[in-house]
Amino acid sequence: MATNRWLATGNFFSSYREEQRIFFTALDRSALLAAVCLLALWPLLVTIDSKFMLVIDTILVAVVAVLGLNLVTGFAGLISIGHAAFVGIGAYTVASFARLLGENHVVLTHAWPLLILLGGLVGAAFGALVGLPAMRLKHLYLAIATLSFQMIFQWVINFMDFFNQGQTIAIGRVAWPGGTVTRGQHYLFWYYIILTVIVVLAFAVRNLLRTRYGRCLIAVRDNDRAADAMGMHPGLTKVYAFALAGFFAGVAGGLQAYLYRGVGIESFTLHHSINYLAMAIVGGLGTLHGAFWGPAAIKALDLLVESFSSWVGEILTISGNLATAFKPLSFGLVIVLFLMFEPRGVANWWRIARSYVKQWPFRY
Amino acid sequence: MTQLLVSEVTLTFGGLNALTQVDMTIAPGIITSVIGPNGAGKTSLLNCISGFYHPTSGTIAYGDHDLTQAPPHRVSTVGIARAFQNLELFRGLSVLDNLLLARHRHLDYSLWHAVVFLGKASQREAENRHYVEKVIDFMELEPYRKSIVGNLSYGVQKRVEMARALTLAPQLLLLDEPMAGMNIEEKEDIVRFILDLKKEWSVTIVLVEHDLGVVMDISDAVYVLDFGQVIGAGSPAEIAVNRKVIDAYIGEE
Repeated sequence: MATNRWLATGNFFSSYREEQRIFFTALDRSALLAAVCLLALWPLLVTIDSKFMLVIDTILVAVVAVLGLNLVTGFAGLISIGHAAFVGIGAYTVASFARLLGENHVVLTHAWPLLILLGGLVGAAFGALVGLPAMRLKHLYLAIATLSFQMIFQWVINFMDFFNQGQTIAIGRVAWPGGTVTRGQHYLFWYYIILTVIVVLAFAVRNLLRTRYGRCLIAVRDNDRAADAMGMHPGLTKVYAFALAGFFAGVAGGLQAYLYRGVGIESFTLHHSINYLAMAIVGGLGTLHGAFWGPAAIKALDLLVESFSSWVGEILTISGNLATAFKPLSFGLVIVLFLMFEPRGVANWWRIARSYVKQWPFRY
Repeated sequence: MTQLLVSEVTLTFGGLNALTQVDMTIAPGIITSVIGPNGAGKTSLLNCISGFYHPTSGTIAYGDHDLTQAPPHRVSTVGIARAFQNLELFRGLSVLDNLLLARHRHLDYSLWHAVVFLGKASQREAENRHYVEKVIDFMELEPYRKSIVGNLSYGVQKRVEMARALTLAPQLLLLDEPMAGMNIEEKEDIVRFILDLKKEWSVTIVLVEHDLGVVMDISDAVYVLDFGQVIGAGSPAEIAVNRKVIDAYIGEE
């Protein structure tokens, strides 16, 4: 039967292989391809100042981290309040090389892809370690266990001479086949690197979710008693979930270390952990693209509040920084509002908009 | 011949004896029912077999495997599947996903294959899907394939529960009150499924059920529990005239 490859009106699969496809129509695939191309090309078309590029880069690093957090909290249902600590593990893995070898050693400047990967692996190892209490603890108690890891991490870094007691450890400029990345190229270079990492990791997650390694996460979230009866070790599955999240966080940490060209404890505090959690919630827990919406939305909110407060400051002629007052307020308000009115996050709006466009002009 | 051997199993919770010296042999390929009044220990016995409880004393053996202290995920690996009395489905997932999940132990590709999703993982998942479709076909769940389980009616959810246990491809299936709370028509369906399972899939079935009519009609062997003790065992005909059983459970007209 001839079917329209671009617009599907129903299910015309003739094999189970076809049903596994990520993109059901050629339109879906092209749309994503176009979006990725657009993301890759726009910096070449417009001139951007580096401050704006840094914001974009920061969002993208957060996307990597939230992808991981979404796996453990969204899909496996284990609340992790220590995610920034895992990001920190990745960053400090890179930083430890800088401390040992010097910030401009060839390992740091040339083998940076390996170091970022290593950051991920160390993150995964710590994730598994922190996940061990999940064998016994559940729900709130497990969340507190992850919180304690956050505290231990901060404390250890603050008191270790090797890590400069939490003060910034500088990381050198990296080299790539085209030479050393200069000051002007820095943010653009990392934009492309992080974008590549995101595309690779997002496809990895998408693939994972259609196999037993993804399904077991959802199984322990929904009903770990039944998961047990279905032949999954619930405890080990949870440890594995934490290891996965640790890997993503570690990679994000490695990227962040290179992006900021320095590692300091102030980027990996409890505040950041909560921020990641907020991004995951606002984006939409348990959805893949929620990991993209969340960081973008929270960051956009930050910028919005900043410009709003400077505007208010001008009108009311108030001395002092209004943004510091408005930021926590708006942040808390947004989380509460999302939890109350849209617990499925921005991802749900996307789903609604998508199905509306798909079915137009029909209602359903 | 014995497929499952439960010998002298005692299960105590503090001072309460849930099961006392329970002996049970289950022969392959037949339907064995466990009946008894509420609180007699039927579900506790199933919990012991499927690994959610571990007997205080006594042993449970399945072929060469000693299952006395085995956790549930190991019990399911040797070929015993269980359908729960109170629905324990993955409520937020579709029927299809619920069943795909149950094939966890049959999928042997590595994490790396899963991430790349080319070759082995993709092929195994297609086979997995094919097997699941066979179960869907058998349990007549076609209309609900893509429905979210939590939204389905109770009777259908019960059927999904049974289908999910079946998807594990067990040799021994433990059914805990599969007909509880169903109307006569749904009961007839389930009975038909159970009989077909025995005949076509040659699965051994252990059935816990309150509907005596059903039990007496379809069982090959019956065990009667009361206060955690076996008070009668034998064919349905023998049970029907067993004095102790009549006094404890069946009653007289």
